[in-house]
Amino acid sequence: MAVAAHILAAVDHLNLRYIQALDDLSMEGWLNSFSPAADSAYVCISEENDRRGLPLALMLDDCRARLEDRVTFVTKIWAGTFQPYRTRHFVQRLACEAREEGLCQAVSNFSVTLIQEDGTARLLTTGVYQDVISLTEAGAFIKTRRAVYDANVLPQYFVYPI
Amino acid sequence: MDMPGDQSVAAKAAWPLIWPRKLNQIPKEVFVSPGLFEAELKTIFHGDIWHPVAHAAELPNPGDFKTFSLGRTPLLITRGADGKINVLVNSCTHRGTQVEMCAAGNRKEFECPYHRWAFEISGELIGCPGMSEFSPDFDKSRYGLARLRSAEFLGVVFATMGDNTPALAQWLGEDMIRAMKVILGDGRLKLLGYQKVRYQVNWKAYNDNDGYHAGLLHTAFRLLNWQGGKGAQFMTENGHMSIMAELQPLRNVGFLKDPSLITFKGQDPAKRASVLELFPIGVMVKHLDTINIRFAIAHSHDCTEVHYAYFAHQDDDEEMLRHRTRQASNLLGPCGMISMEDASIFQRIHIGSFSPGVAEFQKGVKDPYALPVDVAQNDETGQLPKWEYYRRLMNFQRAEI
Ligand code: FES
Ligand SMILES: [Fe+2]
Repeated sequence: MAVAAHILAAVDHLNLRYIQALDDLSMEGWLNSFSPAADSAYVCISEENDRRGLPLALMLDDCRARLEDRVTFVTKIWAGTFQPYRTRHFVQRLACEAREEGLCQAVSNFSVTLIQEDGTARLLTTGVYQDVISLTEAGAFIKTRRAVYDANVLPQYFVYPI
Repeated sequence: MDMPGDQSVAAKAAWPLIWPRKLNQIPKEVFVSPGLFEAELKTIFHGDIWHPVAHAAELPNPGDFKTFSLGRTPLLITRGADGKINVLVNSCTHRGTQVEMCAAGNRKEFECPYHRWAFEISGELIGCPGMSEFSPDFDKSRYGLARLRSAEFLGVVFATMGDNTPALAQWLGEDMIRAMKVILGDGRLKLLGYQKVRYQVNWKAYNDNDGYHAGLLHTAFRLLNWQGGKGAQFMTENGHMSIMAELQPLRNVGFLKDPSLITFKGQDPAKRASVLELFPIGVMVKHLDTINIRFAIAHSHDCTEVHYAYFAHQDDDEEMLRHRTRQASNLLGPCGMISMEDASIFQRIHIGSFSPGVAEFQKGVKDPYALPVDVAQNDETGQLPKWEYYRRLMNFQRAEI
């Protein structure tokens, strides 16, 4: 089914809000990309686990309460203990399909560059976002995002979601 | 205790470092020396020591395999048609080509791409193109993939390249066997998945995880009021240690909107948390309902790779499987709520260790010239017998004064 141009624009806008929030290290902005529904979810999982049908994830926030807890981890629990870093995210929509009323399904490539204190940049990982997106009057919001990352072995630990 | 002889001489030659006389001081140079790492490869990683390389639950079916490394030696671990687990060297017996490239999978046989020699899943050589023109003394039965001596306990597969490694049960000792039983139960596990990461840290700093820091570095421990400290640490003279922690019953002080992350559904509250550190870098952890084996690879003096493997029990129902998956994913790994900080500290220790002087151990030290006897849950002295074993193994001499 062809997707209307305004829906594609809303999905792209959502993706840009999302990566802008992460690149600004704004966990509030990240949280605000998700639908306020109790079952909104973010799962960050390795390509290996995903391919092999292994359910374990790197971040498994399968309800709104866990998304909010992740904000607490980063901003309160871990504050001051990790080596500060920034990121540059790049995202490119590959596919978008309408689902039932008010929902669409989208797939996008992403790549995340990690920038250390001294400005050195290196690739953190690449991957695919598999999304269910909720379309509302106020704009598009993530209902569920599954970020499947390619790095079989991550080059370092993560603090922020990707 | 077995102390390998000739390799330690090599270590001494490579690194004429004098060790402080106090047992609670460790020279920081040992964390940053590439030459020392080469000696450690020989004496420790390829020496008379057992290394956990897999759990049987990672290879449930005949034909299943995973690749791994022991130091720099590439391993191919397989479950043969007979159901037995084989720890093989992932190097063709012809000209040494890497045989298998995938991290894991299932095959009927292995074929080396270079000249198409074919190997059974259990390692034996099946055949080679053009074999009739091979040298007259070529004996096919002697060209299976090289096999490491291996042994299994509670499903954990240990391997060794040493010729004089003691029997596994003797090497583990009673206290570590008990800790493994607390962590793995009867060992009938089911793989939930992995978190794999590289740390820019020396393997010795990676495995220097003390009981002192838990309530200090890890804010979540404090928030959960988990620094109680009534547990104990057990050490062996061959470098192992275990922490049996006694956590207070859960008190979610309201900072978590989803308390399932710290819910304990298991039966025995005394077994809420235990950590086992087997010399040199084998770690097993049980925390609440999370069962975790950390298979580590010492790549170099400044890179340690860790495969956090998480498990459920084979008898778990759907709800317990889901609970363990949800808890394990967010609690203990490289971005787990109570452990992310460890990852950051590893890298900062490494950066800070390029400096003169010693790393100090203080918490719990009663006599700096003797090994500790009683170690409380929150002491850092549990690391000292491991360091003393390492020093003797690598043949570093203590200063006279
Ligand atoms: S190197 Fe493997 S077949 Fe020749
Ligand atoms: Fe820790």
